[in-house]
Amino acid sequence: MSDVDVALRARETGTAGALWRSLLAVLLPILIVAMELGVYLIEPRVLSIGNLRNILIQSSYLVLFASAQMVVILTRGFDLSLGASVSAISVASALVMTGLDAGDVAPWIVVLAGLVTGLGLGFLVGLFNGGIISWLGINPFVVTLGSLNICLGLATTISGGRPVFNVPDPFSSLLYNGKLIPGVPVPVVLAAAACVLLYFLLDRTVFGRALYLIGNNPRAARLAGLPSRRYLLFAYILGALLAAFGALMLTARTGSGEPNLGGSLMLESIAAAVIGGVSLQGGVGGVIPVILGSLFITMMSNAMNLLRIDGYIQQILLGVVIIAAIFLDRIRSTRA
Amino acid sequence: MMTNSTDHGGAAPNVALDKFYRLYGAIGFLPIMLLGLIVLFAIFVPHFLILPNVLNVLRSSSYLVILAVGQMLVLMVGGFDLSVGAVVALTSVSSALVMAGLKEQMADHPALIILAGVVTGLGCGFLVGLVNGLCVAFLSVSPFMVSLGTASIATGSALLLTNGIPVYGMPVGYVDGFGRGLWLKLPSAVYLAIAIVAVVFVLQNFTRMGRYIVAIGGNLQAAIVSGVPTRFYLVATYVLCSVFASISGLALTAQIGSGQAAINSQLTLESIAAAVIAGVSLKGGVGKVEMVALGALFLLILTNAMDLLTIDPRIQTIFLGVIVVLAVALDELSTRRTKRV
Repeated sequence: MSDVDVALRARETGTAGALWRSLLAVLLPILIVAMELGVYLIEPRVLSIGNLRNILIQSSYLVLFASAQMVVILTRGFDLSLGASVSAISVASALVMTGLDAGDVAPWIVVLAGLVTGLGLGFLVGLFNGGIISWLGINPFVVTLGSLNICLGLATTISGGRPVFNVPDPFSSLLYNGKLIPGVPVPVVLAAAACVLLYFLLDRTVFGRALYLIGNNPRAARLAGLPSRRYLLFAYILGALLAAFGALMLTARTGSGEPNLGGSLMLESIAAAVIGGVSLQGGVGGVIPVILGSLFITMMSNAMNLLRIDGYIQQILLGVVIIAAIFLDRIRSTRA
Repeated sequence: MMTNSTDHGGAAPNVALDKFYRLYGAIGFLPIMLLGLIVLFAIFVPHFLILPNVLNVLRSSSYLVILAVGQMLVLMVGGFDLSVGAVVALTSVSSALVMAGLKEQMADHPALIILAGVVTGLGCGFLVGLVNGLCVAFLSVSPFMVSLGTASIATGSALLLTNGIPVYGMPVGYVDGFGRGLWLKLPSAVYLAIAIVAVVFVLQNFTRMGRYIVAIGGNLQAAIVSGVPTRFYLVATYVLCSVFASISGLALTAQIGSGQAAINSQLTLESIAAAVIAGVSLKGGVGKVEMVALGALFLLILTNAMDLLTIDPRIQTIFLGVIVVLAVALDELSTRRTKRV
């Protein structure tokens, strides 16, 4: 069946389409619950409080990275540089902090400098990507491929390829093990706050709605008089800032700046977004799909770890899940 | 009237410039840059133009040429293949495992051992390409995601098969005769690369498939409506790309002398970079195999010169990134200019 037929059929299915869509909307939550219950029969520890807490903490990082990816995927783009920029930001902020820490500087200045360095570098990466993509109209794939290499080189050069140890404790307590809200881990609080902000940004502001329109129909967006180029630039900056924030949180968690921190994050962030239901064709997505997708990936890898499944097999399974997710994406977009 | 006359007046004196742009358009940006680079390096980089180094550059670029040519075909149908690097790894591991495994039983027939290894390697490439192609052609899913998935599966399989340990025990003839061999004073891989470039050149310029590939990449709907069996040719293109990756993997394995799962993680990105530098459009429909070969050569010459100048490989990565973006930006700007003319 050609794409034309698909489009025609999609128009015909009215209520059936809506029903199908709502079915698919609850599919992922059902899958998550089913997976956890299934694993529980073999390995009861999977539903212990400690493990659930662990899953929440782990997934909060992925939520941030997948959100960053989602914002640019909405505009029909994507960001290959995400993992590499996370590494560069981690190393750069750690270097600044350890450097200042060695001198006699007040702890809050050290932490502030680390935050500013990280977010500033993130801003620059977003500016580079978004600037070239929006003003020269070059394919995001190529541009972010370029910035991937630049960030990777930067991360390994400034760190000499070694981890930067001795990130000051106040930084870690601010972004990882402190007490922001008693009883709730800090990363979860921060990720939740970022999600709420992003939700309002995407759902309630002109900028947010414009991103959907740019992704759905770039021509219509231009004709409607939206400053598409500027919004596209903002989208890449927003994505890079979210990734930078996640990178700072990860650095706080490891307590060191790691030049290979972002190793598999690029793939995982794209996978989480797409599994959650963000369409690579642009214009479809949101915070909630990203949260669900991130939870799914984190829980899957957590369950496989508990079941002591070989890491290599996990990699194969991740590939299978990605392909399964695009099947779903395809079904969604033809029936919607 | 006024505007009309000024328009003509503005265009007339630029005949020489126009001629230059036409020439530039015919030759393209890359050969000029490549030539400039070679002259520059020959003068300023010591040991750049001595025979062993030239052979070294030619050999190491051959592997990338083969990969990039396959990548180009897929890019031309509007696709992507992120799995080529993983296919190289899987081919390397599986062919080496088969050859090492048969070493005892078939010690008298090294040719058969090699044949079995090569067939296994090519089979892996064929399989991955088939999965990629079928998913893209019949489900119209994003090739980016499909090949991301198959890349993850292939890499995982390669690691699982070997536990990440290199596989030794390939026949001596395969390693010394083929992988490290010099045929008529040139590395064997160079012949392989030239052969593949020639085959794809013929494919592009003189066969139906070549024209269909352009048609599919240029406008899929139009191709379908004109009766092009798009699905068949899509699958064939992806299979071809993966098989090329396998061939590159076999040659690389023979040169290294062992099957490795972590053979070179950068290959996928480099193959895309080489194609993109050569002016292959990511929107599909545009690409010339001879340019892609030059693109791969360009990347390797640049890396080689930086190695000779003992520039830190980490900084080289930064250079690579800047060059990719720069090349595409220049290409984009020059096509805009020609469009305006």
